[in-house]
Formats: sequence, structure tokens, C-alpha cells
Amino acid sequence: MSVFVIGYYAALIAASCLAAYFNYRRTFMLLFSLTLVSFVLGIIGGTPALRVVTIFAGALALAVGTSYAFKEFLVQIARPNLAKELRTAPLTASFGMFVIFTYAIAGIFAPVIAPHGEAEVIASAFAPPDANMLLGADQLGRDVFSRIIYGARNTVGLALTATILAFLMGALAGLLAAVKGGWFDQIMGRAADVIMSVPSLIFALLMLSIFGTSLVVIVIVVAVIYSPRVFRLTRAVAGNIVVMDYIEAAKLRGEGDWYLIRREILPNSMSPLIAEFGLEFCFVFLLIAGLSFLGLGIQPPTADWGSMVRENATLISFGDITPLIPAAAIALLTVAVNFVVDWMLFRSSGLKEH
Amino acid sequence: MGDLTRLVLKRLGLGLLTLLVVSILIFFAVELLPGDIAEAVLGQSATPETVAEMRRQLGLDQPAVWRYLQWLGGAVQGDFGVSLVSGEPVSEAIGDRFVNTLFLAAYAAVIAVPISIILGVTVALLRNTLFDRVANVLTLTSISSPEFFLGYILILFLAVKTNMFPAIASLSSDMSLSELLNRTFLPALTLVLVVTAHMMRMTRAAIINLLASPYIEMARLKGTPPWKVIVKHALPNAWAPIINVIALNLAYLITGVVLVEVVFVYPGIGQALVDAVAKRDFPIVQACCLIFAATFILLNLAADVGAILTNPRLRHPK
Repeated sequence: MSVFVIGYYAALIAASCLAAYFNYRRTFMLLFSLTLVSFVLGIIGGTPALRVVTIFAGALALAVGTSYAFKEFLVQIARPNLAKELRTAPLTASFGMFVIFTYAIAGIFAPVIAPHGEAEVIASAFAPPDANMLLGADQLGRDVFSRIIYGARNTVGLALTATILAFLMGALAGLLAAVKGGWFDQIMGRAADVIMSVPSLIFALLMLSIFGTSLVVIVIVVAVIYSPRVFRLTRAVAGNIVVMDYIEAAKLRGEGDWYLIRREILPNSMSPLIAEFGLEFCFVFLLIAGLSFLGLGIQPPTADWGSMVRENATLISFGDITPLIPAAAIALLTVAVNFVVDWMLFRSSGLKEH
Repeated sequence: MGDLTRLVLKRLGLGLLTLLVVSILIFFAVELLPGDIAEAVLGQSATPETVAEMRRQLGLDQPAVWRYLQWLGGAVQGDFGVSLVSGEPVSEAIGDRFVNTLFLAAYAAVIAVPISIILGVTVALLRNTLFDRVANVLTLTSISSPEFFLGYILILFLAVKTNMFPAIASLSSDMSLSELLNRTFLPALTLVLVVTAHMMRMTRAAIINLLASPYIEMARLKGTPPWKVIVKHALPNAWAPIINVIALNLAYLITGVVLVEVVFVYPGIGQALVDAVAKRDFPIVQACCLIFAATFILLNLAADVGAILTNPRLRHPK
């Protein structure tokens, strides 16, 4: 019995006793069941298993602490009515916001943060980590850490551009279809049906095989593939608003379509659209990551998370986790955006599942 | 019942029409190439004579509509033309691969469907408990991860560190079934993880929606035992959404399979598509796209027809 094992059980049991004494029933149940599970785990897996549990619990506690602190920080600096909303946000949402904030900083200040250039060869291929290179070198001897930081700018930037374009096209078409109706509505609706009946990755591969893989092409193709989703949502939301009396009144006043969209419909359909923007970003981001993993996204030597995984994948067969870090970065950002979107959807629709 | 057949036939006709429009899209997208296929394939080595010769070989001197009809007629009979790179018929190049892909998707579906339905119903019944919250975070993480991330994690832990399953799914025709299942376990598991997460969330949402309806509350209030509420009252109405969830997620498998095949070097149609895109081998790209799109449309169709068959309310649209 090492000091670690004794300390581990002592801490768990002491924490459960404290929770029981102060009547935190759920905390107690959680801690005590963890203690019981640890007995089994300790017998089967020995000290390493317990260490894994400790590291996992520590990481979880760190994440919870960070998100709590970040939420309080946001509440302090936000305007009063926004702060009230933020106070009710779950910890997952503030964790998501913290992660998005971190990525934004990394992306915007990439040249300042990264110790080396993204295409700069500074060592031999697959050199191990040292004081100069935090995560070692890739297959051409470029610093992996710097490339990950630059990837935040390139990959996320590309996904964001494509999402914004998809959103502008889809929302504009949806709003116009709702206001104008008639043949425009019909044509747009059918076009959206056709695009959505081809799997997005397959459609993207078809288009990229024809038009090549320049950045402009990727952005336009991805935007076209995902705009029908936005179109349908906007069309549905705006369709409910168009039949309202105040729209009728505005029409009788002689206002044009553009005024109706800008001043009457948009302000009333903002919150579902913002949530949709988040969801859309996740889809676009995963599609672009998939494409660049297949070698059809951002072309080298520009740093990009998807292609970094592919280029260094051989390292995985030696048990090295470095190639997984860019992939994890993709997953983490998507999870974070999803957390925030979940909260927004819950808030805007009053989706209370009781 | 005449009403029902008419409704189903109408839906089938609509599906067929969508497929036709998609085939037009796939065929004429290639026509949008700057220049044409002959110039694109020959690239630097294009001289006026070679381009003209290639055009004649590919039949590019005929009008596009005529070529489309020929292509479609061939595709219906399983003939997708000739590969531009290797010169062999496309159907030979992708025939075996298509079977492999179907095998992988079926393998994943057989594992994923029962597990995710059972788990989905369980989390719906235990909603707002700790178990539900943890399941929510885990499924969200799984959905948000790119397929290649999950695939490489599985390779790292189950193939490299513990050596339980092979990391590369190389197949040969003389393997026994158990050997085959073992070789393809990791790619199948990757697909299972992604699809299970999707299915669980959708099942959960459908069941919660159902349990909130007044007639379930009525059954509870009159003192029906909980298992009976589920089996006799909730389940008959739950089939429609569950069938829908299954069909939609099988359709999702079709796209997921492309990335997974590349990660595990699995000899399937997705890999063929990616290779053909890199080489700009348009007949193969068109054939793969058409097959994927057809499967996708077919499964969506199955979801709709299943919903019509199991939910009488859909038979009388207002």
C-alpha cells in the first residue's frame, strides 16, 4: 500500500462523510459510490487505475472550477439584463464559452503566441519534444505546437467564413421566400430538397473533384451544401411571423419587402437563428475537417488540423498521441459550441422537458 | 387499404423523382468543368490531336443530353462506363468494394441499433437524473468528434497499446466469418460509437415527447403499473419515431463510412471515391456519388414509408 492509495481512499471517505454530515445527499451518493467502485477498480487495475481516476476527477474539477469562475467573470462585466440571463446559465454553457474564447484568442494572436512560423522547418522529421518544441516536430520537421496554434486561425477561420456565407444565402432566401411566397418560394424549396437529398460529404467530394480545391471553391461549395438547412429554418420561422397582424398593418402602410424583412421579421426571429448559426458552424466545421483529413481541404504548407492528423497518423502506430491533439482540438471546439447552443435553444424555446 | 397503397406509391414516386433530379445534378456537374473532361484529364500533355481523339473515345462529340440518357440507361443496368485512369469498367472496379461497404455498414448497424434503442429508452425514463446528464455529455462529445478522431483513438488503445484487434482492415476472400468480423471490428466500432450517440439522442427525444402526452398521464393516474404504461400504452405509438430514427441513422452511416474507410484502409467504396476524386477519375466519382445518393434517398424513403405504415394519423393529412 503506497501513500497514494491510502491518501486516495482517505480523501474519498472523508469527503463522503462531510457530504453526509452536511446533508448533501446527491454529492454523498456520488462520492460514496465512487469509493465502492474504486475498491473494485483498485483490486482489478491496481494503482494505475486509481491514478487514472484521480487524473480524470482532477481534470473534471479543474473544468468545473474554470467554467464557474468564467461565468462569474462574464456576469461581472456584462450589462445588467444580460448578466441576469448569464447567472442562470448551466456550467456546461460557460465551459463552452470559455473554450470558444480561448480558441478566439489563439486564432487572433496566432503569430504572437506561436514560437515558430507555420511552414518553418526547424528540426529533423518527427523529432521528439524538447525545450524548444513543446510537442516535437512533424513529418517535415516543423513545430507541431506552432502549427496547432496557426490551425486555430486557418481551420476555424475557413469554417467561420463558410458558415457566414451559408447563413447569409440561406437566411436571405428563406426570408424572401416567406415574404414573397408563390413561385420563388416553390423553386427555392424544391432546390433545397434536392441539395439535402445528397449526403453532404459526398456532394462536397463531387464538387471538389470538378472545381479543384482552392479556398474560394471550398467556401462556396460548403456554403451551398449547408444553406438549405438555414433556408428551411428561416422559412419556417419567418412563415409564422408573416401571418401576424402587425405585418399586415405594415403592408397596409405601404412598406416594401425589404423594410418588412429588416424591421419586422428579423428582430422577431433572431434567437432561433442565432442558435442555428451555432449548430450550422458545428456541421460546417466537421465537414471541412473531414475534407482536409482526406487531403481536399486547405492545401499545404498552410497549417490545418484535419490534414495534420492525416500527415502524422503513422506516429499513432508507435503509441504516440501527438497526431490526436489537432483532432481533439476539433472535437473540443465542436462540443463547446454545442454546449452553448444547447443553452440558447433551452432559453429561447422554453424547452423544458418535464 | 386502397388509400394506404396510394399514399405509399405517391411517396415512392416522389423518391424516384428526387433520384432522377440528383442523377441529373451528378451528371451535369461534370459538364460544368472549365473546358471538358478530355482537357482536364490530359492536363499538361494536351495537344489538339490528343484532346480530339479522347473526345471521340469518350463520345464527347455527342450532345450532353444524349450522353446523359446513355449513362443513366447503363447505370440502371449496373454499367457505369469505363474508368479514365485504369481503363477497366467502373462496375468491376467498385463492385466488390460496394459489397465490402455494405458488410461494414450492416455489421455496425446490427450492433448499434439494439444498443442505442435500449439505451435511448432508458435515458428517457431516467431523464433529469445524473445518469441522463452524463449520457447527454457523452453522446454530445461523440457526435461532435470527427469520425477520424474516434477511429484513431480506438486504434491507439485497442490495437497499438493492448493489441486486441488489428488496426488495418485488410480483407481477402478466403477468410472465415469470425476472422472477418475480427478484422473489421475497429472500423465497425467507430461507426457504432457515432451512430449510437445520434440514435440515443433521437430516441430519447421521441420517447420524452411521447411520455409527455396526456393519455400516458391518464394511464398513470388510473394506477396502471409503470411497465404496463410503457409496453401497452407508449410502445405502440413509439414504433413510428423509432423506425424513423433507425432509417435516418442508417442513412447517416453511409456518409460516416467514407472517413472511417480511409482511416482503417478498408477496401470499400468510400475509399474508392476519395481516390477517384484525387485522381479526377470522373466516371468512378459519378458512379460512387450516384450509389451513395441512391442509398441515402432510399433510406429516407424507408423512414417516411415506415412512418406512414405505423402511424395511422399520417394517412389522413389535413
